[in-house]
Amino acid sequence: MIKLNPQTRKKLARFQKIKLGYFSFVILSLIIAFLSVAELFVNSRALIVHYEDTWYFPTYADFHPGTEFGLDYTYETDYRALKQHFLDNNSNNWVLMPLVPFNAYENDATGGIMKPRPPDPERGHYLGTDTTSRDILARLVYGTRTALMFAFAFMVSVYLIGIVIGCAMGYFGGWFDLMFQRLIEIWSNVPFLYMVIIVFSVIPADASIPIRIFLLLSVMVLFSWTSMTYYMRTETYKEKSRDYIAAARVIGAGTPRIIFRHILPNVLSTLVTFMPFTVVSAISAITALDFLGFGLPVPTPSLGELLKQGTANLRTAPWIVTAAFGTLVLILTLVTFIGEAIRESFDPKQFTLYR
Amino acid sequence: MKPHLFLPFLLFLIGCSDPSSDEASLPTIDNTAEVEAYYEANPDFFKFKTLDDLPQDLTWVDGSDLSEVGSPNALKGGTETVRLADFPRTLRTVGPDSNGSFRPWILDDTSMAMAHRHPESLSYYPGLARRWAVDEASKTVFVELDPEATWSDGVPITADDYLFIFWFFRTSYITAPWYNNWYESQYTAVTKYSDHLLSISIPELKPDTDSKVLELRPLPRHFYREVGEDFLERYQWRFAPTTAAYVLKDDNLVKGRSIRLTRNKDWWAKDKKHWRYRFNIDNINLVVIRDTPKVFEAFKRGDIDQFGLTLAEYWYDKLPDSDPAVRAGYIEKKWFYNVRPRPPYGLWINSDQPLLDDQNIRLGIQHATHWQLVIDQFFRGDAERLNTANDGYGPYSHPTLRARPFDITQALAYFAEAGFTERGPDGILQRADGTRLAFTLSSGYEALKDILTILKEEGAKAGLEFRVEVLDATAGWKKVQEKQHELHFSAFGYSLELYPRFWETFHSANAYDKAFLDNGEVNPDRSRKTQTNNLELLAIPEMDSLINQYRAASDAETMMALSHEMNQLHHDYASFVPGFQTGFFRLGHWRWIRYPEHFSYKHAAGATQHFVHWIDESRKSETTQAKQGGDSFAAQVIVYDQHRAR
Repeated sequence: MIKLNPQTRKKLARFQKIKLGYFSFVILSLIIAFLSVAELFVNSRALIVHYEDTWYFPTYADFHPGTEFGLDYTYETDYRALKQHFLDNNSNNWVLMPLVPFNAYENDATGGIMKPRPPDPERGHYLGTDTTSRDILARLVYGTRTALMFAFAFMVSVYLIGIVIGCAMGYFGGWFDLMFQRLIEIWSNVPFLYMVIIVFSVIPADASIPIRIFLLLSVMVLFSWTSMTYYMRTETYKEKSRDYIAAARVIGAGTPRIIFRHILPNVLSTLVTFMPFTVVSAISAITALDFLGFGLPVPTPSLGELLKQGTANLRTAPWIVTAAFGTLVLILTLVTFIGEAIRESFDPKQFTLYR
Repeated sequence: MKPHLFLPFLLFLIGCSDPSSDEASLPTIDNTAEVEAYYEANPDFFKFKTLDDLPQDLTWVDGSDLSEVGSPNALKGGTETVRLADFPRTLRTVGPDSNGSFRPWILDDTSMAMAHRHPESLSYYPGLARRWAVDEASKTVFVELDPEATWSDGVPITADDYLFIFWFFRTSYITAPWYNNWYESQYTAVTKYSDHLLSISIPELKPDTDSKVLELRPLPRHFYREVGEDFLERYQWRFAPTTAAYVLKDDNLVKGRSIRLTRNKDWWAKDKKHWRYRFNIDNINLVVIRDTPKVFEAFKRGDIDQFGLTLAEYWYDKLPDSDPAVRAGYIEKKWFYNVRPRPPYGLWINSDQPLLDDQNIRLGIQHATHWQLVIDQFFRGDAERLNTANDGYGPYSHPTLRARPFDITQALAYFAEAGFTERGPDGILQRADGTRLAFTLSSGYEALKDILTILKEEGAKAGLEFRVEVLDATAGWKKVQEKQHELHFSAFGYSLELYPRFWETFHSANAYDKAFLDNGEVNPDRSRKTQTNNLELLAIPEMDSLINQYRAASDAETMMALSHEMNQLHHDYASFVPGFQTGFFRLGHWRWIRYPEHFSYKHAAGATQHFVHWIDESRKSETTQAKQGGDSFAAQVIVYDQHRAR
């Protein structure tokens, strides 16, 4: 068992007492848990196929060509058609489809015409389809997952760089501090959006989608780590002059040990309060970039791309913008509530006499 | 330390200063001597003769019997608001950044050439020329300019304005290599007989010899006296005197926002037979609105008078026949079938990329792209399959050649020939060594990106993976011009010509620097030639020789046969996947915008191209009142299919 120190336990208990934040946290955790196994709920691949007394679980497996189930084609089985096929033939074979039997990429053009369709639970399109006749719920689910993953990866990278450089600046001071300060001043003046546009125009054509996402992440991190360093620098400066640091140094502790074992835990509260807001800004940024067409490559599902479609079809397909906007508001509100609660529960001012 | 830090910012500021802003400080230039010297240095090209030297046996043609363009019912007046997607970066009509969406307003669609093709019959009706004659023996076209013709500033248009273009378009000052090349290679002489009589010679006779000369537009010699080294900056924002009915007055240009063109009431051609019922609207307000959905909303409010509805999405969903404004007759919908060279929308395969240099792979791709589904789902069956890269040229287009259909079995067979026999874990074909059958499919058409996702989904069934890359228009075009693409979805905008061009797209000279060695073998060190329209890196010696024959041929029969042969060869090489063609255009307009009885013309590219529409102010106030009072008119949804191909 991890033994938390009493201070932290107190903070956590306080966090639990702030109902709005706590329940937001629970809901967001559930959402994340759901998203991480989204393939089981939203997918064009069947959960279970029972064919000729053999069991198949296609969800996370390699693709099954149609020939495997007695169909006449060698490409990926169309499980929705297969289900119907088995039903029509009255055989012992059966297919269990997920709740939403569509993936985020396939065009399901009803009547052979590609256009947005309103929600249609009977067909399995619970939030309707987008302008390319793709299921909106599927695109929302996978788009949100990408955005959240992106945001967390962004946060971790930014904090890692920010903490290391910020702490070092505060701890070493002097020339090192001065140099980095100037460097950061210049660096933070480079316009971020232009850099993204420039970098995206030189990415080689054969870069795959994960590589593109990684590059986008790198560029965003590269231009976002600076703000964190200043908080860390001041905090470290403050802590450095305290007696317990002097004591540690007298005992003979080395620099890394002092920074990571003594200073860092004491400045953590500042850090933790910033985290949710970093996540919010990362989600907004990636959505905005997608909206402008500089984000994730087509046809990756994303919130920004859905928002863009939605605003372009406000009159004819209001369900697109409603779904995308609703999801964005929900996620951002949850994260913000959590952030507020963390800030409040970690706020040291509660113990001061001024309160 | 501090002073050093300021340095980069200082440099940055210097880099940003705009040299064009202080035009007054430019040195004075007068190129009169330079131009005259150039004429003298090229006596074989620039010839000066007298009217007595004119051949006597010429057969003069004047096109005056062709029917009028426009309607006698047209009224003059009114203001039309039109959307510009982007503010023009220059008012020059040549040189960098000049070939944008604004240029047609001051050049292509509005200014006058010697004569113009009649949009109904393709014969020439007079413009700046009063009459003309073709002398086949000397490969020369003689032209008599209309003595009444003047520039918008009142200066008469003379033969000198035509001589001048052969200096102007050949100078390096204009930074336009295509113009340099065209005007150096396509003409052999220009002769001035008098101020209003000249002749121009071309290297080879063609079925449309006259078009090579008659479609030339003059340049105002007096305005371009200051052309020199700094041409690009000096003329960046100068509006040139024009032959067009519309002029741009100084204070009518708000940079970044709008441009207002006004009708020149003293336009010299205002009473000429083929021009008098056109260019009817007094003011054309071009407003920059970048976002198309926003333009559509402005149109529905009546702020913008007309809106193109060619995309199915707009015609069927956003402005359906059941729309209240359409049902009440406030907005009219028109669907017009036309006949003209079709832009070859399709996939241009770079045959110099690994794997794509294998003909079996290219053939497999032909069968693995499901264009019929694109036509059915995206275009709702309104478009048709394109069969070759040169459809719409009448007898010059191949009569029987058909694009290969989507067929998974055949695609798999071709891919297997190339060694792709096994499907990987994701269903994409791979070779024994693990090479995946995956290509980047790029495009600069943001509005058509859904087409690419359909192709991607369907291609996967044949074990082919497309990595879709949607770029903005400029970046997309740059990519193919640098020949960096694998497969690119694009089309060329072909102008109205009798027969297709092949050299630009199919000749090896436009594919590689030196495609073949002198003994006819493939040059192992050849490098891709950039900035040309040979997007397939097509280099076949047989094709080259056919193109040379085609360029040298002068009779229509031979050229047709050669054209068919080249299209067949191109089809066999399989480096272009023909996509779709739309044989029509569609328009929505408010009811105060009026069109001639038959709406448009057989060979028109769009309804507004010939400026035959007009504004009826009385109908405008009638409509506004009706809207307020809830009255309605008869709905007008009209399909003009008299020119539809069956």
